[in-house]
Amino acid sequence: MIRFPSSLSGRLLLAATIFIALTLVGVAALTDVILDRFVHRQIDQQLDAQVLALATALKTNPDGHISLTHDANGPPFDQPLSGWYWEVAGAKNALRSLSLRENDLQIPAGPLGPPPPLPAPIHFAGGSPPFPADGPGPQNESLHYRVKTLSIGGQVVTIAATAPDNAFADPLQNAMTAVLLALGLAAVALIAAMYFQVRLGLRPLEKLKASIADIRAGRAERLPDNQPSEIAPVVKEINKLVGENAEGLVRARRNVANLAHGLKTPLANLGLALQASDRDPTGELLALVTLMDRRIRHHLSRARVAALGGPARATTHIAPRVSDIVSAMSKIYADRRITVQIEMPPDTAVGCEHQDFDEMLGNLIDNAFKWAKSHVRISAQGEGDKILLRIEDDGAGLADDAALDVLRPGRRLDESAPGYGFGLPITRELAELYGGSLTLAPSNLGGLTAALTLPAAHPISS
Amino acid sequence: MRVLVVEDDRELALRIADFLRAEHFAVDVAGNGEDGQHLGETEAYDAAILDLGLPKIEGAAVLRAWRAAGRTLPVLILTARDGWPDKVEGFKAGADDYLTKPFRIEEILMRLRALVRRAAGHADARIECGALTYDVQLGVFELDGLPLRLTGLEWRVLSYLALRKEIVVARSDLIERVYEGDAEVDSNSIEVIITRLRRKIEPLRIETVRGRGYRLTANTA
Repeated sequence: MIRFPSSLSGRLLLAATIFIALTLVGVAALTDVILDRFVHRQIDQQLDAQVLALATALKTNPDGHISLTHDANGPPFDQPLSGWYWEVAGAKNALRSLSLRENDLQIPAGPLGPPPPLPAPIHFAGGSPPFPADGPGPQNESLHYRVKTLSIGGQVVTIAATAPDNAFADPLQNAMTAVLLALGLAAVALIAAMYFQVRLGLRPLEKLKASIADIRAGRAERLPDNQPSEIAPVVKEINKLVGENAEGLVRARRNVANLAHGLKTPLANLGLALQASDRDPTGELLALVTLMDRRIRHHLSRARVAALGGPARATTHIAPRVSDIVSAMSKIYADRRITVQIEMPPDTAVGCEHQDFDEMLGNLIDNAFKWAKSHVRISAQGEGDKILLRIEDDGAGLADDAALDVLRPGRRLDESAPGYGFGLPITRELAELYGGSLTLAPSNLGGLTAALTLPAAHPISS
Repeated sequence: MRVLVVEDDRELALRIADFLRAEHFAVDVAGNGEDGQHLGETEAYDAAILDLGLPKIEGAAVLRAWRAAGRTLPVLILTARDGWPDKVEGFKAGADDYLTKPFRIEEILMRLRALVRRAAGHADARIECGALTYDVQLGVFELDGLPLRLTGLEWRVLSYLALRKEIVVARSDLIERVYEGDAEVDSNSIEVIITRLRRKIEPLRIETVRGRGYRLTANTA
């Protein structure tokens, strides 16, 4: 059982190579047969012509001896012991070619096997053509015979002409060498052509792979429609799947938002009811409401993040979103008169859903405004295939261990300024989901630097 | 001061309204986006509290409609979704501040008072007019350092005038900002309130500017 290679081009190439090889071996075998017959026929013609010449030149002398009217020792029958021989055997004497050097030929008695399939190359008037036979020569070599028996002047005369085996093998070998060389070249050319054809034919698949990678990296939302007809249905299905994924994401987010709404309004009610009545004199129940709220927020945020499902990414241009969030902050913290400095290249984009980007940046900028004395600086710069965002304030900053602590979920440094303990862990969780990070460090403005690293929207292709 | 509360959870809306009324605000309540949009477009309010998740018309759409109709009142959005994307959408629609549910009731009051003060163009939490001091954040009036005891209606009138001290306030504007939407308004009652207030805040004066309205002034001349 042949184990096929797992790659399509491997399979196509293997199959093509096998078929090409089988075909060419067949062609070579057939050529060999045809050439063999052709050479046989040529030699048979030559031998038959010799037999005919001998028969024509044959005469019987009055003493019953036979002789030839003229010399029949033209080449190749003059070369001694060459395998090219002839002999005419009469009742009383025999005539032999020069090449035989007085050796005798043992002429086979009759046809061996069936008569040759080809028609006799020379027409012998009133008689059958010479029959083929194989037999030993004077040096015990194998010879090919053409033998003709005829009666002349009342006696039976046997005329035989022979050719050596190598008379067949040599031209055949020469011809087959050339043929095999040609077939070999043809095989190489065909396999090379096959290789390029496979490459050409499979190129749309390569492109498809790149297009799907683009979707994953957030550079495209769907696969291009102009595809070869064989893969167009696949592309259509993939596009549908991508669309359903996106819809599912939107639906999941909406469900989470609805859940938030459904839980939080009654919770708000409960909180207000407790504050309005005397049922909670120690504030214990209200603290429980606050705790429930925090738990809900934590798990809803996690659920929202989980709804992302995979690394599928959108492209978010950060400058307009930063400006939206900063303008919102400037309204919320209008009394503080905080100046904001934004430094970022105008076309900077991150590979991240814009809701998630808003979530991360909103939390960080909110914190910066909350703690700043008078100044907030927001900057972005590319670092390889990442974007580094720095949100700095000139507030009191954090001690090193506090900076670690504040990133832990559910921790709160300052209970009087809500949100510090909550937004940062969620931001870090989101950033890490996108393959980024969040670190806190002192700022040269005097306060805290939140350094958020996110993948760039168009990663440098490796 | 008159406030519109647009919140579809009736219980929550009434709690907020009760609390604000206890703090002397006049409060109208709308239970869905359609009513909320209509009230905001047709009535005069000092501020609105707007839930983002509303039936019929979404909160952000209501807010955009108000802004498109030229209503500049400060708006505090309430949201059950604490994600920033919703807040950003709210602010882009024209919100001035937000609160995430659940919240402490005092928080609403603080935000609301700050919004009203800023909308009237005051950066400081304390407004001074002669011997009268108005702490907008606490909602407390003091005359010569002593707290002033006021009824709800008196407080609304005086806070509206104090936020616009030395400026003539139209009588119709004043009436609009003092009574709730379904209140029976007696056109003389505002005069009665003004008269009572004049006695309480002496030596400050509330001038009647004929044909135009009233003015709170420290000018005793």
